[in-house]
Amino acid sequence: MIANGIVETDSAEEFIEEIEKSQDVLPKKINANPQTVEKGLAKLVLTLIELIRKLLEKQAMRRVEAGSLSDEQIENMGETLMKLESKMEELKQIFGLKDEELNLNLGPLGDLM
Amino acid sequence: MKLYLYGIIDSSDQIKESIYGLEGVGVYNISFRDIGAVVSEISQPIQGVTEGAVLEHETVVEKLMANFTILPVRFQTIIDGRDNLLSMMQSYYKDFKDNLARLYNKLEFGIKVIWPADKVKENIIKALNEGEQRVLESDGSASKRFIKEKFEKYKIDKEFETKADKFIKVMDIFFSKFAAEKKLEKLKTRDLLLDAVYLVEKDKENDFREAFEHIKSADPNLKYLFSGPWPPYNFVVLLRKTGLLRDTEQADLFDKVTRCQTLVGADSI
Amino acid sequence: MHNVVTKSKDVTLLEVLDRVLEKGVVISGDAVISVADVDLIYLGLKVLLSSVETMEKLRGAPITGPMQEPT
Repeated sequence: MIANGIVETDSAEEFIEEIEKSQDVLPKKINANPQTVEKGLAKLVLTLIELIRKLLEKQAMRRVEAGSLSDEQIENMGETLMKLESKMEELKQIFGLKDEELNLNLGPLGDLM
Repeated sequence: MKLYLYGIIDSSDQIKESIYGLEGVGVYNISFRDIGAVVSEISQPIQGVTEGAVLEHETVVEKLMANFTILPVRFQTIIDGRDNLLSMMQSYYKDFKDNLARLYNKLEFGIKVIWPADKVKENIIKALNEGEQRVLESDGSASKRFIKEKFEKYKIDKEFETKADKFIKVMDIFFSKFAAEKKLEKLKTRDLLLDAVYLVEKDKENDFREAFEHIKSADPNLKYLFSGPWPPYNFVVLLRKTGLLRDTEQADLFDKVTRCQTLVGADSI
Repeated sequence: MHNVVTKSKDVTLLEVLDRVLEKGVVISGDAVISVADVDLIYLGLKVLLSSVETMEKLRGAPITGPMQEPT
């Protein structure tokens, strides 16, 4: 029963900290208010681009790991990924969006990224 | 008459115990066939989420849990009148029945584990540096250096995840022995290694607690939180959206939901 | 109701809030007058509690001392 405390731990403060950290601090739904709809759309588009960028990076890492890339391929991949990353930074700045904002909550499936 | 809903129980009987809910009003059971909705009459809309109201709500659900199987309803669910409530019960009847049967005689327990993420990462970096080196030519090209840095980070993150999986698997083996169902969330934050809920049969409660004590004493570097018994908040599966699904579609959706649960880690650690 | 405000009461409250606000049966339909709108703006469990007094008590309350009823 709650009155007697049904939570047992020796590290209450640490768990409070982690539980609070794990709660989102930003709106999960995209605000459809006309004034903010532009920013909402930008957020959605950039979120999807960011997802693709991260997937590309991960794929590249797997190939490096497998050792299946030539020197030249590594060079090209590095250049592409670098450009992608700096382009994303630019876009984020233009729209005034932070890393944590570029995420989507998929309900029972958790966060997109 | 506005009815504040606390939960659905597997009984059409009146509630013998005097239980008081929000606004200090007594709760009662509105029966529908062989199940019931436990409500209290509410006069004014709830002003936001207050600690007092939340605890009043939870206390009602827990008191009911002592004598019934209860499907706990989300906080601040208010139905507009008895007729509407009965019609809701009709729509959800099968769903409620299925859940009540599945959750009969079971309790929910929560286990959270904190691990020293920084230390784990440090040890990984140490091990990677001592171990076999993956030689990427660092000939100064910015692109190559970019890849090298990304790759090192990738290796560390990958090893970090692998270690988390290993820890969780060991713990889960112990707990699962006494659990009918479970939901595991790995690395909700870097330090929150595990956030798990287990559905345990009442007569296995002591075994489950023992398993926890055993795990707790096994590794002093980890921090543990044990909570429960709770009403089965995390184990109610509702498929019915009023009017949106036909029965065959509901069956398909259940399969998909089960598969999703597996994908997000409920069973695959 | 007198309760000693200690840290483990905080963590209990967080666990309760997670369950009653995020989990459990969700009834949808026209007959539902109001459901705690916790999806739209989720500012963190402690900020959700609309009673500022309660918030202050939970954040910086002394380890011993009675807790007053939220107004």
